Amino acid sequence: MLNFLKILATPEFFFSIIRISAPILYATLAAIVVEKAGFANIGLEGLMMFSALAGSLVSYYAGSWFWGFLAALLTGVLMSLMMGFFAFQLKTDIILVGIAVNMMGSGGTLFLCKVITNLTRGKAMASTTGLITKSLCIPDITIPLLNKIPFLGKVLSGHNLLTYLAFLFVFLTSVMLYRTALGLNIRAVGENPNAASSVGVSVMRIKYIAMAFSGLMSGFGGAFMSMAYAQGWSLDMVSGRGFIALAAQAMGGGECLGGMLSALVFGFAQALGIKFSAVGLDSNLASPIPYAVTIIGLVVFAVVRNRRVKKQHSVAALEKAAGR
Amino acid sequence: MPDERASENYVVRMKGITKVYPNGVAANQGVDFDLRKGEIHALMGENGAGKSTLMKMLFGLEQPTSGEIIVNGEKLELTSPSVAIAHGIGMVHQHFMLVPSLSVAENMVLGMAPKKSGLFVDRAKAIEITREYSEKFNLHVEPEAKVMDIPVGMKQKVEILKALVRGAKILIMDEPTAVLTSQETAELFVELKNLKNQGYTIVFISHKLNEIMEITDRLTIMRNGRSMGVYNTCDVTKEEISRLMVGRDVVLSVQKDKAVPGDTVLRVRELEYVNEWHKKMLDKVSFDVRKGEILGIAGVEGNGQKELIDMLFSFNVPNSGTATVNGTSILGLPQQRIRELGVSLVPEDRMLYGIAADASIEENVISDRASDKRYNSGPLFNMKAIHQEADRLIREFTVLCKDRSQHVGMLSGGNIQKVVVAREFSNDPVLILADQPTRGIDVGATEFIRKKLVELSRSGIAVLLVSADLNEVMELSDSLIVMHNGQIAAYFDDTAGLTDEIMGEYMLGLKQQSDQEIRRACHD
Amino acid sequence: MTKQRQLRFTVIRSLVAILIALLVATLLIFISASGATFHDKLEATREALKQMLAGPVFRFSKKNGTAFEAKRLADILAAMIPTIFTGLSVCVMFSANQFNLGAEGGIMLGAFVTAMVAIYLPLPAGLHPVVAVLIGGAAVALVMLLPALLKTKLNVSEMVCSLMLNYIIMYVIKYLMNTHLADKSRGQIMSYPFRGSSAISPIINNAVFSGAKLSWGFVIAIAAVILCGLFMYRSRWGYAIRMIGINQDFAKYSGMKVGAVIVLSQVLGGFLAGAGGGIEMLGRYTSFSWSALPGYGWTGITIAILAGNNPYMVPLAAFFMAYLSKGCDLMATYAKVPAQLIDIVQGVIFLFFAAEQFLSGYRQKLVVRSAQEEIERARAEGGRQNA
Repeated sequence: MLNFLKILATPEFFFSIIRISAPILYATLAAIVVEKAGFANIGLEGLMMFSALAGSLVSYYAGSWFWGFLAALLTGVLMSLMMGFFAFQLKTDIILVGIAVNMMGSGGTLFLCKVITNLTRGKAMASTTGLITKSLCIPDITIPLLNKIPFLGKVLSGHNLLTYLAFLFVFLTSVMLYRTALGLNIRAVGENPNAASSVGVSVMRIKYIAMAFSGLMSGFGGAFMSMAYAQGWSLDMVSGRGFIALAAQAMGGGECLGGMLSALVFGFAQALGIKFSAVGLDSNLASPIPYAVTIIGLVVFAVVRNRRVKKQHSVAALEKAAGR
Repeated sequence: MPDERASENYVVRMKGITKVYPNGVAANQGVDFDLRKGEIHALMGENGAGKSTLMKMLFGLEQPTSGEIIVNGEKLELTSPSVAIAHGIGMVHQHFMLVPSLSVAENMVLGMAPKKSGLFVDRAKAIEITREYSEKFNLHVEPEAKVMDIPVGMKQKVEILKALVRGAKILIMDEPTAVLTSQETAELFVELKNLKNQGYTIVFISHKLNEIMEITDRLTIMRNGRSMGVYNTCDVTKEEISRLMVGRDVVLSVQKDKAVPGDTVLRVRELEYVNEWHKKMLDKVSFDVRKGEILGIAGVEGNGQKELIDMLFSFNVPNSGTATVNGTSILGLPQQRIRELGVSLVPEDRMLYGIAADASIEENVISDRASDKRYNSGPLFNMKAIHQEADRLIREFTVLCKDRSQHVGMLSGGNIQKVVVAREFSNDPVLILADQPTRGIDVGATEFIRKKLVELSRSGIAVLLVSADLNEVMELSDSLIVMHNGQIAAYFDDTAGLTDEIMGEYMLGLKQQSDQEIRRACHD
Repeated sequence: MTKQRQLRFTVIRSLVAILIALLVATLLIFISASGATFHDKLEATREALKQMLAGPVFRFSKKNGTAFEAKRLADILAAMIPTIFTGLSVCVMFSANQFNLGAEGGIMLGAFVTAMVAIYLPLPAGLHPVVAVLIGGAAVALVMLLPALLKTKLNVSEMVCSLMLNYIIMYVIKYLMNTHLADKSRGQIMSYPFRGSSAISPIINNAVFSGAKLSWGFVIAIAAVILCGLFMYRSRWGYAIRMIGINQDFAKYSGMKVGAVIVLSQVLGGFLAGAGGGIEMLGRYTSFSWSALPGYGWTGITIAILAGNNPYMVPLAAFFMAYLSKGCDLMATYAKVPAQLIDIVQGVIFLFFAAEQFLSGYRQKLVVRSAQEEIERARAEGGRQNA
């Protein structure tokens, strides 16, 4: 037990928490912004799958991670706009749109992968892990000076470019929501769409923008999965991160900072699972840990929230009593 | 008839407007409507007459199925509110179009926010703009307060300012006085006259005759989706307007025998409720409803009536107080238990609570009795019994429909309400809570429901009638409570001799009975 | 709108949705088809489409020409068994407006538990499969209590919770299969063989269908459809489920026990998925060897959407999906187009079926026409018109 704690107290462990949290964090920011705009995008999982595939394939064909990265972003945005079309124009239940995209994101990406590799290489491949080399991945960044600090340097330096960007986006998203006209519009549309449309804010347009933002974040997340977290795309590689993000959004109270903390909690759970299997626990027992933690997290959050509501009620009662 | 020579002054002309909603309801049929520059023009009609639909089309929220809209001589396709705003049309909605968590200034500039560094909202500028307009039009608001924290009257001023800051020259005001106190109303009228003098054109939607006579120049009356004509306000009398609106010479009156009240059925004592915004909505409300009588509750909407009904049907629990039906406490009970005690509710919002729009008439009328032995044989429904019951109710309550399998959502408002009352009146109730039972429905259905209520009360059922329709409460009630500010402002054990004026004074809080007088509402 | 118009609209809309999906499929097949020239590709596409659309029931060979293939039809019917159950499961849950997506994990858990009963619990032949399937179903029903109760008591999203459960179920079963329950004598990871007494016997003579496996499970599935339909449309509980799905506030106001019914819908949905897994297991396999989620749960969602949450329409939708899936498999075999095309086609059909406003312009025209006719009729009858 003590030995195990020793393993956990290493900088590598904390490093891995941050690394593992990054894709969840992207998806969480996506979930936060659409929620502020008044709806839910449960298709993040599928969006990330498509982005991950597009990123790794384009990176391979262009011979440059940069183009792959851009392709991943573009894929996320275009697919999310398509989702928006079905949800907002054709009035499909947004949850069903999400389910459909997730279904396509599973087998459909494999189909595309096989077809595209078959067309270009004459051989249908079930993953792109054989195509992506380290140089086609998004680079890691060593931060000068910071990397010299003992322990902390090893935790914070040497992460992937996209990991740093993920945490930067927490700040940027927060600024966007609370300091810009766009953010004002998004919050207005989410809270009272009639008020927004009555002053000429196009609710549809804002919802599309929020949707596209979620697609963009999914694009980052997807690119991270296939070009940083792993080398190349493989079937179902996002494995529920898009869903976990929905829980992180709820647990974070719908705010960026809270969402980030929740994402880190899930990152911790997953890193812990990996460590467990490293010290000999069956990986099939370690793997479900983050999913179980998600359910527990939602329950804890719900209990705390209910308590708070009750407390507010008693505060109101007290004030009333004082007023009398 | 209006002066034809003034035609060059028309800022808005709507011609032959027809609107058919996707559910088949024809809300407007060939309506003509026009506005002259600088007038206050009343648009009148009962709930559901099509006024709101017509104005929604002028503001671009809805598009007409046919007909044309000409603004300042230009034929327009008003596809969205932005187009309307761009042409100088602004609307002040009855339910405020404000975002509660944003500040007054943020609400003011929503959609046109001043920016600094090209990206960020310039809050200082937003506050400055708000101040500037507030002073210019003499409409006092607090720019930095959050909208959820300001009083109703100020919210309305924010709404007016919002329209003005966007360059509106034509202001549509949808029942602006419905939520205001009399003092706030008086204030509003000064402001509106002020705007009129500055050349603004105002559409004033209302069904309050006194207000219309006081401030409007012309009026258009609507009934059943059609225009009943345009008149100069000074040329018509209240009686004429009333006749055009409701299409009857006499106010609907229901024949009823004198009530012979029996034992107390519903006993409410000292009910208190503070809502989530810490406003006291019910303040020591106590009264009894007895067998065989209709107790009416009158009052301007928002004075605690909704909260009272919510408590009595367990949609909410009060902070303190008691309520019993035949001696059994009902506060906080599940709705199923409340119904078992014989309480029926005709809910205020029939689309929200009263029906399942996508289910059939049959499925809607049995919703409270689906578990009843009569309609089940073993684990399955007794379909024959259910069909019979549905057909019986459709017949007895004259629901106009194709057959029992028609979806309720496809029916007209009046027939939807008939489905609701068919269910609520036919489950052997001891107490009927009727909350705005005839709101927004046609005259035929209204008369039918009112007669039924009287009939049921005379057969020994206790009826609590909540209505914002003064005619209705005064005609139907045997005894009457007026609510104001969460309190009982007055109790009358007999409605004979009551006048609109007396009621108005209590409803608006100008008068208040003594505690002793009010205590008469409890028949201990 | 009149009923005929409503029906006509529904049929036309469904056909157009399927047509669009097939167009998308054709495009994708064309892109993936091998061939040097445009003409070659076109020819390959034609061949692939032929396999996909007609292959499931016809065999094409140069020697014998085109022939009806009973075995393939039997395969399709057999493939419908698990998806009818997941389809029904999703129908029941979605009808109550509960977006529980646990049918996927549910069918795997049901199959697993049933398999364990079939292996370890000695029971007489007639009773064994019945008990095994019931226990399998009950196990999933029990698990679905978790999202259901969390939803009603704490308002935790049943969707996220059930999705997480899918993963947990999969990993725990994999763990058990890899360790304690594996038959070490076999080359791959699988359980010990089921007891002979537990098998659900085949429904048809193998000689006629040359090796097709269609068990009595199919008949049970159809029986389940009828029972489920009766439950949903002819019982007070199914009625309550539907009313809650249409308008929860209305149901509460009417005095229905909303919380209990929401729990019921998810528990029943869990039972159906679990029982389906069990029946599939005992009818098709002799030992448990699933190492990943089988995908039947997601197909079940598509089926429920196609069926409009109506249990009676589930077999039709399940047949359609099984047919399409078989077609894609055949296409993969004979025309080298990856079988996962099914996921894209499924997604597209799903989206258009669920799209409320899809062809709404056409619908609005029908509504307006009906409204006008009604007004005309009212006038003709002497104008006692109700607003």
